[in-house]
Amino acid sequence: MSIKEQIKSILQEAEIYRVQGLLNEAMIKYKIAAELVEKNVKQESRQSLIDGITKKIELLKGTILKYNDPEKTPEMPVEIQNLIKDKFAFSADKESAVLEGAIALSKFGQYERAITEFSELLKNDSLRLVAAKNILRCYFANSSVDGALSKYEQWLKSGLFHEGQIEKIRFFLENLLKDKGIERELPIADVPEEKTVFEKATIEKPVSGKGLMTDIPQQEEAEEDEFLDVNSVGIEITDGPQKGKEIVLDVAFQSGKSVSLIIPGREKTLIETFKVGLKLDNVQFYSPIAILNGSGVISAFTKIASGPKMGSFSLDLKISA
Amino acid sequence: MAIFNLKNREIECKVVYYGPGRSGKTTNLEYIFKTFKKQVTDQLVSIDTEGDRTLFFDFLPMGLGKIGGCDIRVQLYTVPGQVQYSSTRKLVLKGADGIVFVADSFAIRRDKNILSLKDLDQNLKECGLNIFKIPLVLQFNKRDMSSMSDGSIPIMSVETMQNDLNRQLKVPCFPASALTGEGVGRTLKESLKLTLLHLQKELKWAQK
Repeated sequence: MSIKEQIKSILQEAEIYRVQGLLNEAMIKYKIAAELVEKNVKQESRQSLIDGITKKIELLKGTILKYNDPEKTPEMPVEIQNLIKDKFAFSADKESAVLEGAIALSKFGQYERAITEFSELLKNDSLRLVAAKNILRCYFANSSVDGALSKYEQWLKSGLFHEGQIEKIRFFLENLLKDKGIERELPIADVPEEKTVFEKATIEKPVSGKGLMTDIPQQEEAEEDEFLDVNSVGIEITDGPQKGKEIVLDVAFQSGKSVSLIIPGREKTLIETFKVGLKLDNVQFYSPIAILNGSGVISAFTKIASGPKMGSFSLDLKISA
Repeated sequence: MAIFNLKNREIECKVVYYGPGRSGKTTNLEYIFKTFKKQVTDQLVSIDTEGDRTLFFDFLPMGLGKIGGCDIRVQLYTVPGQVQYSSTRKLVLKGADGIVFVADSFAIRRDKNILSLKDLDQNLKECGLNIFKIPLVLQFNKRDMSSMSDGSIPIMSVETMQNDLNRQLKVPCFPASALTGEGVGRTLKESLKLTLLHLQKELKWAQK
């Protein structure tokens, strides 16, 4: 094959890749063709050929750049959002399915619609906290820090959350702000500690929905294997300078209502507080779909003497209520 | 995971078209939509960007009628092939009952096919599924490109693709051209057959 034929064939190949949308592959071929022209074509026709190829390369560069750095995910038509909400919710339980649908919308970048769906879930006592956190996440993902702050202030005034919940939201929002490099003290709750407006309204109407209740089921008949998978446990420090702060520990192992936690040796305040038989009253159990409030009793507490976790402590917590 | 409505004797299952970007997953669904009109129950939903790249997924619902005393409904999905949409692929893959892996026959895409198959393996694991157990069919797409380009485009041989992608899996594979429709129907039929057989083992839905 002559050089002329070679160049022609490579340019043909590049063009097919470009039409097929294989832009990087097209770019490689155009560059090879340009090199061949540079080295082998006589001066009189060289420049016009190089100019033609360079033009194609520049156009390709622009397109590749556009694809590699896509603008914000476009807001989809309502029908498509409905499809996402419907098809990406897998739970048989209605409440879990609604939550999953809203989460799917946010994962597909449909933040405004996701916020609308999560806002509906705020009416549901058992999902209120998780919905609120997801709303804040959506604002941040949609580059609207101001929106998140304004929503928080609105919630503060609304009486929708009780003090414990709004504190958790504040802590959550402060962490989101920190991740963005924003240090900001948020206003503190000024709401009654006992019941929220919705709790008062629905006090006679217990919320159904397995695995989504904010309180651990009290029924004796609740089977151990029916208990939700717990990923991590938040324990509130009740004494010392860190009083009131929540420490979150990952669950190393779970068997029904018993979870094993690893406490790093550096958490001296916690370690000094714990002993077998101690009842912890304000414990948060974090599962993939909900945050549960409850209490537990320490059933074992030992220092790990060997292996990679040597020096840390292993704590077994029996979830009691 | 398929939804089996025991009362109405209905099964709804999900087949996902997976593969590297620009391998022809959406083109497969477009051809199915045009050709299998009797079975297609609604519009093809395709969400693409300016450059025809699938942004989220494509969705095509089909009804296969009664098989073994059950009304079978199938939902076909495609995933976005571009590397940056990994989390979307994972989301679309969730609950899949069958997979069609669409590989690109262009020699220049050899590595991308292999990487995408590895990505499928990884994502299935994260969904609690096993690539060796899930009903899987391979499609070697763009077989027509060699003749269309007068041989100027290097196309891998079927043997090379089998060796790259199917050496261990040993699943059915079909040469195809999604553009002309060659092999598209056979791929789909085999995938549905394997998926329904698998579901019969799991759910024992078919009446003898």
